[in-house]
Amino acid sequence: MRNWLGPVVFGLIVAVATACAAIAAIPYGLMNVAIDRLGQGGINRMAYGNLANPDRQPVVRPSPDLAYSSCPYDLSAGPLAIDVAPVPGRYSSLSIFDAATDVIFVRNDLEAAGKPYRIIVAREGQAVPAGAETVRTDHDRGIALVRLLLKDPSEIGQLDAARRQSSCAMVTKLK
Amino acid sequence: MKSWHRYAMTLVGGLAVGLGAAWAITGRGLSDGQIVNGPWTTSLGYGTKATDPVTRAAVARAGLLALPAKETVYWSAKSDAAGAPLDGNCRYSLSGAPLDARWWSVTLYDAAGYLVANDAKIWSVNGANVALDDKGQWRVAIAPDRPASGAWLPGTKGQVFHLTLRMYNPGGGFRADPAKAVLPRIVKEGC
Repeated sequence: MRNWLGPVVFGLIVAVATACAAIAAIPYGLMNVAIDRLGQGGINRMAYGNLANPDRQPVVRPSPDLAYSSCPYDLSAGPLAIDVAPVPGRYSSLSIFDAATDVIFVRNDLEAAGKPYRIIVAREGQAVPAGAETVRTDHDRGIALVRLLLKDPSEIGQLDAARRQSSCAMVTKLK
Repeated sequence: MKSWHRYAMTLVGGLAVGLGAAWAITGRGLSDGQIVNGPWTTSLGYGTKATDPVTRAAVARAGLLALPAKETVYWSAKSDAAGAPLDGNCRYSLSGAPLDARWWSVTLYDAAGYLVANDAKIWSVNGANVALDDKGQWRVAIAPDRPASGAWLPGTKGQVFHLTLRMYNPGGGFRADPAKAVLPRIVKEGC
């Protein structure tokens, strides 16, 4: 039995180390999956997703009452600019999630006083346009999500043009 | 048996146990800030900057891209008022007063959290499309077949279901004590 003491202690250490590493990796793995699924229109551009239904569920528990527009981003080549145009009289919000799944920014239509606004997402040290409202992040990758509430799914026809006023793009000019 | 054989065996065993433990530890939803209100449970930990890796992984698995509680409170129900699992073959009455929020909706999912196909293409009800009776109450039937009258949320024949109640911009009174808020009742009427 003494022959097993070393191997069993080794196995326990491996188990603990594996569990810690896996727990740390789970958020990044799930976020990567979400970026891939939502990013089929490309990275650093807004995709105006169709409403969730049984055949289209890019994330768990999608809401069929929400029109989700998503901007999977990658800041490795420079900051991102997100332009949001609230739709009058409707709940809408912009939320930004980093690669670790943490929320780094949320603003709804009331907080924006119903007015359009621009948010710059940038790594520490990246130059941003002077005076721009900027969210700094520790990660290159993430997802910006614009939610727009519908009273009924059929409303998407009349509101689709309005939600397409929101967009995202890499910052190319600093002025 | 050679010594390295023993090490190889415990290495494989350790990897397997470690991965299994990680999945089990992060799969129980959120225990931090857990609030229970009748059959409904929520955690105010969604959408916050997680303070430890276990919470972060649990949130990523249970509610990736979910909003913080100030923005939206997500309640989940897996059982009716009597504590029995929600059965897609049964008929339920879902009812209540308008909720203390700017907007609310109730969505029906399978046990894994996904929408289930139905011919009516109805998966949710919300504050804008339910009618109030003369007592200011709304009522929705959850059943596999469309009821003769009234609002309907199609059940899931042959499988259990879960309900998610979303409250967008919940009111101050609600946020002061979510555990005591009046939430929709889920009463089984027959199978």
